[in-house]
Amino acid sequence: MRSHQPVLSIQNLSVEYAARRGKVKAVRNVSFDVFSGETVAVIGESGCGKTTLALALVRLLARAAKITSGKVLFHGGDYGAPIDVLRLSQRQLRAFRWRNCAMVFQSALNALNPVLRVSAQVQETARAHGEHDAKRIEERALWLFQQVRLDPKRVYNAYPHELSGGMRQRVLLALGLLLDPQVVILDEPTTALDVLTQRTIIEVLKRLRDEMGFALIFISHDLSMAAELAHRIVTMYAGSVVEIGQVNEVFYRPKHPYTLGLMRAVPNLSGRRAELISIQGSPPDLIDLPSGCPFAPRCAYAQAICHEQAPPLEMRDTDHASACHFWDRLPVLREQPAASSEELRS
Amino acid sequence: MVNSSPLLSLQGVHKHFKAGRNTIRVLQDISLDVAQGEILCLVGESGCGKTTTGKIIAGLIAPTAGKVFFEGKDVSQLRGEAFRAYRRAVQIVHQDPYASLNPTQTLYRMLSFPLFRHRMVRSPAEARSRVLELLQLVDLTPPEDFIDKFPHQLSGGQRQRVSIARALTVNPRLIVADEPVSMVDVSIRISLLNTLSDLQRRLRLTFVFITHDLAVARYFAWEGRIAVMYLGRIVEIGSAPDVTAQPQHPYTRALITSLPEPDPEVTRRKQRISLRSEDIPSLLRIPSGCAFHPRCPWHVPNVCDVALPELAPTEGRSLAACHVTAQTAHHAQTQKA
Repeated sequence: MRSHQPVLSIQNLSVEYAARRGKVKAVRNVSFDVFSGETVAVIGESGCGKTTLALALVRLLARAAKITSGKVLFHGGDYGAPIDVLRLSQRQLRAFRWRNCAMVFQSALNALNPVLRVSAQVQETARAHGEHDAKRIEERALWLFQQVRLDPKRVYNAYPHELSGGMRQRVLLALGLLLDPQVVILDEPTTALDVLTQRTIIEVLKRLRDEMGFALIFISHDLSMAAELAHRIVTMYAGSVVEIGQVNEVFYRPKHPYTLGLMRAVPNLSGRRAELISIQGSPPDLIDLPSGCPFAPRCAYAQAICHEQAPPLEMRDTDHASACHFWDRLPVLREQPAASSEELRS
Repeated sequence: MVNSSPLLSLQGVHKHFKAGRNTIRVLQDISLDVAQGEILCLVGESGCGKTTTGKIIAGLIAPTAGKVFFEGKDVSQLRGEAFRAYRRAVQIVHQDPYASLNPTQTLYRMLSFPLFRHRMVRSPAEARSRVLELLQLVDLTPPEDFIDKFPHQLSGGQRQRVSIARALTVNPRLIVADEPVSMVDVSIRISLLNTLSDLQRRLRLTFVFITHDLAVARYFAWEGRIAVMYLGRIVEIGSAPDVTAQPQHPYTRALITSLPEPDPEVTRRKQRISLRSEDIPSLLRIPSGCAFHPRCPWHVPNVCDVALPELAPTEGRSLAACHVTAQTAHHAQTQKA
């Protein structure tokens, strides 16, 4: 399921936006590895920097944005040595995008050109990224449409307006996988889709990533989606990573009060009706960040030190890091269901 | 606390819209009662008619056929002051707190306008103290800090609180809340829902709560009911714990089993129901018989595609509009007898 060689290694990445009032520090010093075949969910609320992070990984940031530090090392493909995505020329970038790393955006409804048939968009995409064998691309596209549970012939020849939102989202997913990338980035893949359509996308994603072996980075504010799909969870707050760990670890034994707060704020559907609590206050101004821990003003565990010193992101347990001075005071949120710990051991 | 006669009653409500030569049947034969002090959740996917139902309840649009009764009176017969009284008694809170507030007005202007309009205050001083009271009520505290602010100075959650305060200005009895938390961040959603719950208890309000999110519906309407809608009809209705724990209609079951849960082990072990078709039928071509039959895993040929099922008792405690659940319930009954 997960190899020991990271396919993507994000190191000290920072991104700023120029605004009239000053610099918006949207992504601050983010580091984590993504291993081949694994799914990493980046969770956090609007404005936490998760979409900016995703855009930076494929260098699709808006003009006002500037990458101020860091490296994004890609170890896959046939480059021999790892390459730093942030140092690629425009020409090299074209080859890297789609062949090595594809991104599927959240506004599926706007991402397709309304006046072109799906077939034309498939062929154009392939050509733009250096694949000229039209016949082979068509075969590949038809096979992928089948994989994402679409009627291949009909969809291939359709215009986007003939397809429903869920179908368009699946077309985009297939389009992303066209050149067999090693890394796929999904930004809120199922927002604005209905429950049953969302389920289809989840199932398709699970099957494809297991069969094709790509690493999946998905950006979501939906904790339930993350719980279902991810092997590891990265929690972002105010532009930086505050917690990273195995999915069960993060959900059952969170080591950062913000993650704990999110978990306590999401209603469940089956089982006991949990009493839920909101996190007090609102996220800080990214132009004028408070000193110390950015979560401290909202944190129930905060002490004097939290307002003075920003806690570093450090390992607190096996494969589980958090940026909190008082991580060891947090309660175990839920006991992991008993049967499953058996399963894990065997 | 619950009176015998319902506060609100819809009887056989239809709503059709014309689009060129086509007729879009958005609502078909909706009948439901809402008791004083009750919470009723309307749940369903986009296009199921839940928002249209909410608009009809609030008197914003009139049904094509069928009747709406409020406090026992046929709303379509109300004229003049009687109609205005009904419109005051039923208020709506919209989904998008960025679109529903006038950006050029301070909270004071926004909230005092209806007070003057409906002659509920006599002087600006009185209006100001009433507005402060309303802001306090929706937990925008201290209210003095908020009263002279403009919407752009507030967060999404705070704006939604202003929308709620505005709905409360005219002392309504029933509030239609249309997806009030779906555009608000996860971490503050619950505090908004808790504020609504508090108001419901303190002011003895009745709620029609519209949402696509069953988990939110279950949390908010734990002591109320959930009505599940599909293509313009109610397919299942029952208490929130019953509908979510023992869903009867195959559509409700599909929804509940499809939803991921915020618990990795629970969500990965959930049993799924697979549908026969992924396609949501168009409202222009609603399938014959039970509208769910082309997708339904229990589909019985020559029954489900022919006859329209009515809401009927099931083996569980909720009512469902399904031939299969009705038959099983019938068998169970005859065996007992």
